[in-house]
Amino acid sequence: MADTSDQFTFHFNGETIEARSGDTVASALYRAGHRIFTRSFKYHRPRGLLCLAGKCPNCMMNVDGTPNVRACITPARAGMTVRHQNAYPSLDHDWLAAVQHFDRLMPVGWYYKTMTHEWSWHAAEPFIRKVAGLGVAPEPGNGSKDYEHAWMHAEVAVIGGGPAGLQAALELAQGGAQVVLVDDQPELGGHLRYRKRAGAIPADTIAQLRSMPSVEIISRAYCFGLYEGNLLGVLQANPHAGAIERLIHLRAKRAVVATGVYEVPFTFENNDLPGVMLSTAVQRLIHPHGIKPGASAAIIASSAQADEVADDLRGTGIELVTVVSPDEVISAIGSSHVTGIRTQNGQFNCDLIVMCGQRVPDAGLLHQAGGKLEWNPERGAFLPVDLPANVSAVGEVTGASLSRAVPLPPKHVPFHKRSFVCFCSDVSTADLRDGISEGFDHIETLKRYTTLTMGPCQGRMCQLAGIGVCAHETGRTMAETGVTTSRPPNPSVSLGALAGPRHHPIRRTPMHDAHDQSGAVWMDMGEWKRPRYYKSGLCDGERSCVEEEYRAVRERVGLIDVSTLGKLDVKGRDAGRLLDKVYTNRFSDLKPGRVRYSVLCDEAGIMLDDGTISRLAEDHYFITTTTGNLDFVQQWLEWWLVGTGWDVHIANVTGGRAAVNLAGPQARDVLKTLTACDLSSKAFPYMACREADVAGVPALLLRIGFVGETGWEIHFPAECGEYLWTKLLEAGKAFDIRPFGVEAQRLLRLEKRHVIVGVDTDALSNPYEAGMAWVAKLDKQDFIGRNALSRFADADPQQNLVGFVMNDDAVPQDGAAILVDGALAGRVTSARYSPKNGKAVGLAWVAAKSAAEGAEIQIRVNGGTARARIVQDAFYDPEGERLRM
Amino acid sequence: MSFLIPCPHCGNRSVYEFRFGGEVKTRPQPDAPAADWMEYTYTKANEAGVQKEWWFHRSGCRQWLQALRNTTTNEVLEAFFPE
Repeated sequence: MADTSDQFTFHFNGETIEARSGDTVASALYRAGHRIFTRSFKYHRPRGLLCLAGKCPNCMMNVDGTPNVRACITPARAGMTVRHQNAYPSLDHDWLAAVQHFDRLMPVGWYYKTMTHEWSWHAAEPFIRKVAGLGVAPEPGNGSKDYEHAWMHAEVAVIGGGPAGLQAALELAQGGAQVVLVDDQPELGGHLRYRKRAGAIPADTIAQLRSMPSVEIISRAYCFGLYEGNLLGVLQANPHAGAIERLIHLRAKRAVVATGVYEVPFTFENNDLPGVMLSTAVQRLIHPHGIKPGASAAIIASSAQADEVADDLRGTGIELVTVVSPDEVISAIGSSHVTGIRTQNGQFNCDLIVMCGQRVPDAGLLHQAGGKLEWNPERGAFLPVDLPANVSAVGEVTGASLSRAVPLPPKHVPFHKRSFVCFCSDVSTADLRDGISEGFDHIETLKRYTTLTMGPCQGRMCQLAGIGVCAHETGRTMAETGVTTSRPPNPSVSLGALAGPRHHPIRRTPMHDAHDQSGAVWMDMGEWKRPRYYKSGLCDGERSCVEEEYRAVRERVGLIDVSTLGKLDVKGRDAGRLLDKVYTNRFSDLKPGRVRYSVLCDEAGIMLDDGTISRLAEDHYFITTTTGNLDFVQQWLEWWLVGTGWDVHIANVTGGRAAVNLAGPQARDVLKTLTACDLSSKAFPYMACREADVAGVPALLLRIGFVGETGWEIHFPAECGEYLWTKLLEAGKAFDIRPFGVEAQRLLRLEKRHVIVGVDTDALSNPYEAGMAWVAKLDKQDFIGRNALSRFADADPQQNLVGFVMNDDAVPQDGAAILVDGALAGRVTSARYSPKNGKAVGLAWVAAKSAAEGAEIQIRVNGGTARARIVQDAFYDPEGERLRM
Repeated sequence: MSFLIPCPHCGNRSVYEFRFGGEVKTRPQPDAPAADWMEYTYTKANEAGVQKEWWFHRSGCRQWLQALRNTTTNEVLEAFFPE
């Protein structure tokens, strides 16, 4: 009996509902007189409490903004806000209930039969979306409450907190095992909580379990999947006030399934009316909640269960009008609630119809784990057999105590559009018959065609009855008909729980704050934040800012933070040998103090990454990789090292090293104020590297030129990042230096026709077709991809990566289609307005036969086409003279 | 997919800690016939049964290892560092 001393209120559709401690949302609403809890998915028929055990779809509501919450297993809390779903204007008066009068226009397979044209679906979709369905997803970004993930390990996981589960957990724990017990109900005890005749809740067992340190009890949590390696997916509701749900990844050496049985409804006309309830639901209202569920009741039963329920009903003073066997029932009477029952023995007035339905083992987890479900005619159920190792079943889920409620397959099926098998999607016995007669007579195809077992209850209420109808119609036995496959998640899991908390790791470079102060507009690059461009007093809007930064680099000097580059330190006697093997270019003959560019290919000759490699000493190389590919490149190098016995050590120094690129005709003037290193082209030529102090910071200087101007890439300890960045900007003040962002860098490099691997190339791009044949040194005896590349070298290319200049002022988008003579001939990979050319320039993959120098192509721009000309050379300084100045 | 891989360094760990590296194959000699290279580069045995595979313990010891996995049951019989 619920405690009446502790009362509180919550809100339901604007009404204040009184609740008692121990109440669920559903029990409090029922006590307050509410009988309609939902409107059905398709026909908007009123639906009331059916199972009261979290197994059926009939009480799903919006609780504090979370849709599709099962009200019957959600404890009521003071001040919570509960709203109905999928009904307008209210549950009691739902205009959309008119839909059910057109049910004949919605036969089984309705979609397949009516949506035969594209236009029919487009016309119907907005209406269907509005009318059909369940709750409405919450607005994104409403992060007041959150979802959590947790990981747990157990020697034994016991699923189910009924008498069998409690007993098993206690015995295992006493035997020394570390046990996690998972139960989906608000309180432990299983069916003992509501079945008085079955005995008392073993309070001492529960107390003992709670006191044992080796036992952990997770309440109000259901197990939705038993996966390989005994991984259990457990979803716990409201683990604490700050979280809606917690998804627990529970890994157990052994799983003991004690999920018990659940009761399923009978099929007869109007069996979905509010007031038609399962006997266990009625018992739950009476016992834990102390509610008198009605005034007068009819019981449908053929089992001994009838006596037990009749006792319970009489105990609350409900008048028992009749007890009928399932095959005598014709229909329930009533429009929005039961007012009576029509049977072959006559008609009876009542406001409650109690179904003592067949008990079904809740064996989905065992089926998922690889066990089989075998039909047992005496027990009237599919029972779990052939369980895999380390998974066992105890208690009623084994079916040991079951008895048959009705013969299956049924001798007679009442085919009627209002005789529902599936409550989730409004599938009736008539729909199943029609589906079978249309040829979908296998239980799996019948499921897919009618959506039987595919709703939120995942077949719990409908599977057995559906199999019965299928067997009846096809003349097969239950065993021949078989069960549909149980797949996780079952029952359904909210997407929020699967997605988990919104933890997005962010990496910031050491100069992050300095960028912020300079007005950086940020962009994401993988986990990294990078300045896209800087908003300064001199420009407004992206285009003018980027152009300003661009001009600084081309005409004076600019500074960009390139700390996000992947950086690998490779040392050892055989370092050059490894690089020769893995990169396409040659590094064993690279002189210390020199830098070389290379790409990295797989065995199929596809470009995976690119970067520069500097030789710092005989046995010491320094590699840069593209920002997103660092992990891959490191793993790739280490992979090819496995088993060679070579003396090579690879260290990822990305986080420990900051890097900047100082570039522009006056870069040397700026840098020489901060270092004693001789920066003249004679002492420090293009593609050379030196170790030197810059503003007192030990640094590695690479003279390379991604943006096409004289410049140095400076690598130095990350802890000096902001210091040296600031020093360089100060030193550059006299030259009107500007920090520049990724957008300006991309424009600058595009004018130089420098390729970005992964932007201008994809999983089909090889260096020959990309116009970078020089990077593959086929005269090396062996390297990764050599065999494929040597074939590409001899073959005619199918496509080429080419540069293009627009004929007019159109600017194509990255990815725009290229047409030649009206036919698709390629695509743009990068395009930007080039201040140097006064027009947009870009890179594009074009079919080889259309890729000749000077050839004209058409590019899709803004729905029309614009003309462009292919240019093989760089758009800016094709001879590279500025790099060597 | 939620099986365990017995990493020789770290013990039994969830497969999600690992990166799959494909079947273990023997790389042909540089001068091997083109057919051998085609076979090596583009063909997978995709064994329905036990096959030897590369796995990288990304969220653990960060070592490449090889494992014998039954592809039909996802049971990993053995995991070891290659010689």
